[in-house]
Amino acid sequence: MKKKTKVLGILMMILYLFIVIFPFIWVFLTSMKPESEIWGDAALRLFANEVTFEHYQALFRGNILNALKNSVVISTITTAYVTILSAFCAYAIARLKFRGKKVLLAVVLATSMFPQMIVVGPIYKAFVQLGWTNSYWITLPYSMITLPVSIFILVTHFSKIPISLEESAMIDGASKMKTFLKIILPLALPGIFTSAIITFIGVWNEFLLSLTLNPNDSWHTATVAITYLRGQFQIFWGQVTAATIVVTIPTLIIVLLFQKQIISGLTSGAVKE
Amino acid sequence: MKKIGPFIDLHLGYFIVMPAIIFIMIFSIIPIAESLQYSFFDFQLNSQQKSGLYFTEHYNMGLFNETIEYLEYYLDSEKTVQSSAEIIEKIENLESKLPILQEEMHSLIGTNESIVSLDVAKIDSIREKNLVIMTGLDDIYQFGESSQLQEDIYAVASELETALIPSNFIGLENFKTVVKDERARHSLVVTVIFTAVSVAFEFILGLVLAMIMNKAMRGQGLIRTFSLIPWAIPTSVAALIWAYLFNGSNGIVAVLLEKLGLIADSTDLLLTGSGALSAIIMADVWKTTPYMALLLLAGLQTIPFNLYEASAIDGASKWKQFVSVTLPLLKPSIMVALLFRTLDAFRVFDLIYVLTGGGPGGQTESISIYAYKTMFAQTRFGYGSALVLIMALVVGIISYFYIRFLDVKMTAE
Amino acid sequence: MKKRLSLFLVLILSIALLTGCGETTQAPTEKATVKFAVQADNTDALTQIIDAFNAENDNYQVETVILTNDSGNMHDLLVNSLSSNSAEYDVISMDVVWAGEFAAAGYLQPLDAMIKDAGWAPTDFNAGSMASGKYKGKNYVLPYFPDLGFLYYRSDIVDQGDAAKLQSGDYTWEDLLTMAEGYAGEGGTKYGHVYQSKQYEGLTCNVNEFTSNWSNIENGLAIMKQFADSAATPKDILVYTEGETHNAFLNGESVFARNWPYMNGMAASGDYTIDESKIGRAPLPNGGTVGGWILGVNTKSERQEAAKAFIQFVAGPEGQKINATVGSYLPGFNALLNDDEVKASNVLLTDPGFQNALKKTIARPVAENYSEVSDTIQINAHAYLSGNGDLTDAVSAIEEALK
Repeated sequence: MKKKTKVLGILMMILYLFIVIFPFIWVFLTSMKPESEIWGDAALRLFANEVTFEHYQALFRGNILNALKNSVVISTITTAYVTILSAFCAYAIARLKFRGKKVLLAVVLATSMFPQMIVVGPIYKAFVQLGWTNSYWITLPYSMITLPVSIFILVTHFSKIPISLEESAMIDGASKMKTFLKIILPLALPGIFTSAIITFIGVWNEFLLSLTLNPNDSWHTATVAITYLRGQFQIFWGQVTAATIVVTIPTLIIVLLFQKQIISGLTSGAVKE
Repeated sequence: MKKIGPFIDLHLGYFIVMPAIIFIMIFSIIPIAESLQYSFFDFQLNSQQKSGLYFTEHYNMGLFNETIEYLEYYLDSEKTVQSSAEIIEKIENLESKLPILQEEMHSLIGTNESIVSLDVAKIDSIREKNLVIMTGLDDIYQFGESSQLQEDIYAVASELETALIPSNFIGLENFKTVVKDERARHSLVVTVIFTAVSVAFEFILGLVLAMIMNKAMRGQGLIRTFSLIPWAIPTSVAALIWAYLFNGSNGIVAVLLEKLGLIADSTDLLLTGSGALSAIIMADVWKTTPYMALLLLAGLQTIPFNLYEASAIDGASKWKQFVSVTLPLLKPSIMVALLFRTLDAFRVFDLIYVLTGGGPGGQTESISIYAYKTMFAQTRFGYGSALVLIMALVVGIISYFYIRFLDVKMTAE
Repeated sequence: MKKRLSLFLVLILSIALLTGCGETTQAPTEKATVKFAVQADNTDALTQIIDAFNAENDNYQVETVILTNDSGNMHDLLVNSLSSNSAEYDVISMDVVWAGEFAAAGYLQPLDAMIKDAGWAPTDFNAGSMASGKYKGKNYVLPYFPDLGFLYYRSDIVDQGDAAKLQSGDYTWEDLLTMAEGYAGEGGTKYGHVYQSKQYEGLTCNVNEFTSNWSNIENGLAIMKQFADSAATPKDILVYTEGETHNAFLNGESVFARNWPYMNGMAASGDYTIDESKIGRAPLPNGGTVGGWILGVNTKSERQEAAKAFIQFVAGPEGQKINATVGSYLPGFNALLNDDEVKASNVLLTDPGFQNALKKTIARPVAENYSEVSDTIQINAHAYLSGNGDLTDAVSAIEEALK
């Protein structure tokens, strides 16, 4: 009986994974079809009649590598500073006494209720005046979309860490800052990595700000570069599918690297009362 | 020196939240506030009289000067066309008046800058000057047949009135219009349905996925990485991909769904209101479940093992453990996950914009799409801001209930 | 001491991170540089025009800022830039339907004086393009390249009698539907007719043609619905844009297609099953919608003179000739229509069916709130065509919007 449920479970898992990655696989197969096989009846065939790498070649002749570089730099910078800022902020909210905490949380949450389109105009205006368009300054306004969720994740994490650990450190004479850096932070690493990866992919996927603030093609990010793969009346589907594969791979590597850290808390078993 | 340390330690809270607050202030609150003030004005870019926030009357001196220049230019051309000496004399008469009027207008307004605020008392004398020009024109054209040039001259002269800019502050008028706006109501309903259905699916699937990811088992790394793929594909790109897969004639997913009997015809997916909304929800669930799972997984990590061990000793079944240990301890994470997913889903844009453009026939238009079209495509920023503010209010109320209902203490008191 | 140190360290680190990330790309140049905001050109024409201009001019130099080919995105980007009074772009390429809005907003510099100084008259340029950029008696634009919708048919399938009828333009939508249904399936085709019917700007163009420039909205929509419901059109015709249209037609799936001139260029490339030898061209029953792109000068530009010189060059005979011969675009400078070199480079210009199409053009409404009008048309027409709304509602909503 138990074995049967286990087999069933595994089958379900395989089915689930299949559904999840099916579109990705299909895109991969499509990226190797010549343009003429992407539409029409040939589109439903699994494999191309004539396998081609022309779309990848066209892609790499274009701007995609530079755009990938921009995406990596922008996402990394944003992830680094947002995670630092939100770790401090979240620690204060979860553990320290100061006035206006609830108001702060409410305001942070409230900023997430507005769509990006509403900040694009004013930020663009300011960037033009400062001469900051087409630069890595774009990382700063990305705090709007990433800080709130990062702060909230970390608050829930920090408040889960048993207060007794801190108290014993305090008795030993450690300052709050030291307690935070030496005790809380290491224990909260899985949470920090979770919020970091969420920030990273959030920035990686962003489109509107990137399109508006960095319109020159040498400053394009990967998402923007993909939307440029079109003519006036047609989308270059072959290149779009190829680009999807190319753009997704770096994030998969990041996910692979980070996911080990996410479960580190589990394996080390550090959180114990 | 020694006193500063304890001082910082005592008020450490203020010190370490400050950087985050500064960022939120500069990059969220100020830009949001700037945009929201538009909602109290009839602010639209496609009209020189409305393309600014004019609390009081203004005068567009730049436009006035340009108009005079054009009148001179066109009257000159008219002179070469006309043959009647009488009319030519009239034209020259008007032409001679133009520089004088321009001079007078400068001294009346007091500056040559393009748009300046205007003393209401001066409006009458401005209109008087306009009238001189208009009567001059009427005098010239009273007998002549209508020509292209005449049409152009009158069109140019009509700008004299446009140069007078009335206040476009309208208080709560935009909000009153939103409340009565059928299209706004429809898009709100679409948004609420989309949010409720997709977040519900994502939550259940995400929780299951998180539980599986939290288990130590073989191939775990593979499962985790694979299931995160959809989330790692940028939304705007994923939407393009789904548009290809849902395509009614040779989209593989549409065809498969038809073969499986889930839809009557492969084209129903994008061409019926319910089909298109289901397609959008399907794509969103595919895309965002991993995100939900990751948020919940982070929460699962913080549940100490020994609690499970303890309840296992008490002889609790797996299900009992789940209900009595996992769920209560996961509550803060569940709240954060639901809250932020709801906020995100409520703002859904890229996916619908690319997949259906709001179609068929506006059936899948979310409030974000409506607001975006109003603001950027139609440049009615005032009304668009009002839509956005209402949208934020609605989602604010929803968040309030979440927080109340789940009753989670986020902070140490 | 230590705790403060660590605090400082963190602070300094974050500041270093933040300030280290800005790099500005402005390099000082000797010549006045004009920034030209333009969509990507898949042909070599744009590069050649820029090179030619830069070679000729000692004082000015032009630099292109390539914006996206997604015209919706491009519009929104320009709105953002122009509304913030930015002088980032000096010369702007626009879709014909944006000009009314931009001119009304005061973003564009009137060009009449410049046109006169160059020794031209507005009538020297493509009439449809000029009309789209005329607002309150002033001309704000010059053509970059004009476009118009017309009918493509398979000359190897359609018989000579029908072909002659089509070419003359003397036929109705009902005739076309009958033909489409009659020919569908012949010569390996699947469909009779394909056109643009997704809820987007292309739908407005097509409705414009079906309703004979809004003169008979009810009949026009009704016949459009007959087309959509007919077995001779793809069952998902209501998600068709230009891309689906040329894919179907150039892969030999359809006998007829409504599209812009660019599809002819694609056929000529020889990459598709259907090449130019199998294509005939004809006017649409009530005329084809005028489209295309136009050029304007940003009011806030700090280099008005240079910007105007550049526009003059692109829209004038030199630039338009490069555009026509290298890029196969229609010339917007009328005199070039009779230029032998231009004629030889573009088969459309000598095609009798296309000549007739050029004579029968209809414009979309010119209005400062054009996007709003078009949006209403798209939603209501699409709701009716997809069976989500009824005809009388659609007609009254569209009539209301056009007022």
